Formats: sequence, structure tokens, C-alpha cells
Amino acid sequence: MVYPEPLEKLITGFCRFPGIGPKTAQRLAFYLLDRPREEVAGFARAMVEAKDKMRFCSQCGCFTEKDPCGFCTDPRRERAVLCVVQEPRDVLVLERTGQFRGVYHVLHGALSPLDGIGPEELRLPLLARRIGAGGIGEVIIATNPNVEGDATAAYIARMVKPLGVKVTRIAFGLPVGGDLEYADDLTLSRSLEGRREM
Amino acid sequence: MAERSYKTDALVLNSRPLGEADRLITLLTWEKGKIAAVARGARKTKSRLAAGVDLFTYGHYLLHQGRSFAIITGQEVKEHFIRFREDPDLYPYGLFLAGLTDRLIAGTEPCPASCRLLLDSWRLLDGELDRDLLCRAFELKLTDLAGHRPHFEGCLGCGAGGAHIFSPRQGGVFCRQCAGGDGMELDPGSIALAVRLIGAPLAQARMLRPGPRQKRELAQVTATFLRYHFDLDDLIKLR
Ligand SMILES: [Zn+2]
Ligand SMILES: [Zn+2]
Repeated sequence: MVYPEPLEKLITGFCRFPGIGPKTAQRLAFYLLDRPREEVAGFARAMVEAKDKMRFCSQCGCFTEKDPCGFCTDPRRERAVLCVVQEPRDVLVLERTGQFRGVYHVLHGALSPLDGIGPEELRLPLLARRIGAGGIGEVIIATNPNVEGDATAAYIARMVKPLGVKVTRIAFGLPVGGDLEYADDLTLSRSLEGRREM
Repeated sequence: MAERSYKTDALVLNSRPLGEADRLITLLTWEKGKIAAVARGARKTKSRLAAGVDLFTYGHYLLHQGRSFAIITGQEVKEHFIRFREDPDLYPYGLFLAGLTDRLIAGTEPCPASCRLLLDSWRLLDGELDRDLLCRAFELKLTDLAGHRPHFEGCLGCGAGGAHIFSPRQGGVFCRQCAGGDGMELDPGSIALAVRLIGAPLAQARMLRPGPRQKRELAQVTATFLRYHFDLDDLIKLR
């Protein structure tokens, strides 16, 4: 079926969203057409406003409206502890735990030479400069526990250790609520490495 | 009609995020050649597939053939090459071996020899040896399996022995008369090294101690050859 052009454009737009197929895109488009004009206009404004006003913090690389961001300027946060993550959304995930009171460094990806992503494409030179400027006592690496994330962590460890800064990797272990017998060997061996005293 | 569900041993050549929580992986299988397979939910921390669908994994896989790609329904890890991701020096080598296999090997015919070659190379790479020499042996053996091996035994034009001018375009050596001013002039030792690496078992790369000139020349030969015939610029940069 061929839709009128304005509707077709809307559906095509939704189709580009992650995880949205043509069926869902249609549903979303029809849903919008059903809503009051003011609501839709407000939503459109919110999208443009977010796009215009949000930027990356020039220090840590997370999303912010003001530069430097709230984490980098908050006097209550420990500036000596720096947590390295791959994506801006990882910052929100860690913040949700309420456990971390240091500052962040967002790489915006992980090393993947075959995709053309080397150290220069990530915010790794910036990380080196931040650490080189002094005042940081520990770097916690919280990149993903897959090949690219581990390789990035190893690269950072090599870069940071000679500067006399402590480097730690977040522990990887058994998912809460799971049974030991279902754990794979790699997860289990890393859980043993990362065990803690009770 | 082909069987829709099957089991096979395989090596993970590539693994990338797909959609919200899935992974799209490229498997080199003993039974069905190279296949693309989706691991649903593999990026969730509680996924039972996650551990077996990362790059540098040798495993046993349960697959269901869909219309456009296979779905992984189960896996059992046989060997994880963990050091490749934890050692920044090894990472590019591991990527190079997997990437070159991904580019050179295609089709759904059984390919036990290619699987064996990559698995053996990963195992050797994890130990003590001249990594560059292992890569040269791997390149030559893999191009051989892919049916594109460069020729080093005698002039491609007239068959004369002792030919030592390599033409990347023709994929072999020529004598001075037949070369006609074209190609790279090689030390006879470099040619002997190439012939040795092609013929000998892979593990022999551990025993050979070629000189720096021979190693450099052979690296140039395979790089220009692979670049010319397979457009592998990004991969060659890893070496
Ligand atoms: Zn910041
Ligand atoms: Zn000749």
C-alpha cells in the first residue's frame, strides 16, 4: 500500500530508529496522527531542542547541556577516581547504582582496528592528557567485557600504569539470581579472579 | 530439502552488535563453510549464548537455518583465546588471522582444512614464536587453500629455475628475461623461505630463523600480492 507523502516520510523516519521495523514504524506514525496537535508539536520541539542543546562535555565526554558537565564541576565528587566507560549511556547506568562518587571519562566506542577505530578515534589521547595533568590516583576501567572492550581496557592499562596511577577493571562475575552450574567457564574463571574477602 | 537444524564445530571470525541486544557473527564451520548467524539476546549479561559468540572462540554450535541467516540455538565453548584480547600486542595479530580468513574463504562447502589452519594458528600465536613469521606462513597457506597461492618454484614465463623477480600482478616469480623490467627483485633466501613455509607444517614456523632481509622481503611480497588481488588495505595495516 502506498501512503500519502507526509505519512510515508514519517514512517521512513521512524524506520531509522534502532530496533524499529516497518510494522512498528507504521504503528508509531498512526499513533502520532491520533494525538492532539499541541502534543505532537511539543514532542517535535523537544527533539530539536535536545539535539541543539545537548553536547559532549569537553572534559569527560558525557552528554551535557553545560560544558563542563555536572559531574566534572560537582565539588562533592572525588576527582581522584576516574571511571572509563565506552558510551555516554553507560554513565547513566553506573549512576543508577549510586555507588560511584568519582568522575567519568567516556571513550565513545572501543578499539576495533578493522572498523577503522584506533586510539585516535576514541577519546584516548584526551584521557592521557587528563591523567598526565595529575591529581588522579585510580583509573577504573568499565568497558564492556567483550573482545573490543577487553582489548581497549588492556590498551588503557598499558598507557596509564607507567604514569604511576593505579588501574583497576570492574569485576566480572555471575549474574545475580543465576545458578552456578549454568555459568560458562570464562565467566566463572573471571569470577574467581575477582573474588572478594568476606 | 536441506536439514534445517544442525550441529557443527566452528571458529568465530567476526562478531558485532545487532539491534538492541543481539549479535551477528560470522562462523567458519567445519561442515558448512562460512555462515552468518544471529545470536539472539547475546549482549544481555544473563545470556547463555554470550560466552560463545565472541571473536577468537572455538566452539560447538547448534544452528537453525532461517531464510536469510542462521540462528544460534545453543553453544558449547571448546577453547577461548583470551590472551588476544588481554594483550595489546597480540590483539592485532589475532584480528589479522581472523580477518584474512573472513575475506579469503567463502562459500558453504565444508572447509576443514581452513578451519584447522586458523585454529592451529591461533594456538601457535598464543605461545612463544616469531609472530610475523607465523603470519607469513598463514598467508601463504590460506591463499593456497583459497586457490590463489603465489608461485615461487621456477619462472612463470619459461619455467627456468632460480627465478627471483616477483610480480604481484601475475602472482609469481619470473627470470630476468621474462620479467622485462617489472616486479620486485628478491634474495634467493626469501624465495627459499616462502617455499619452505608453504610446504612445511605450520608449527615449523617455530623452528625457522630467517634473517631480517628475508623476513622483510617476504612481508613485502605477501602484502603487495594480497593488496593487489584482494583489496585488503585495512587488514595489511594490522601487520
Ligand atoms: Zn564532564
Ligand atoms: Zn623466464
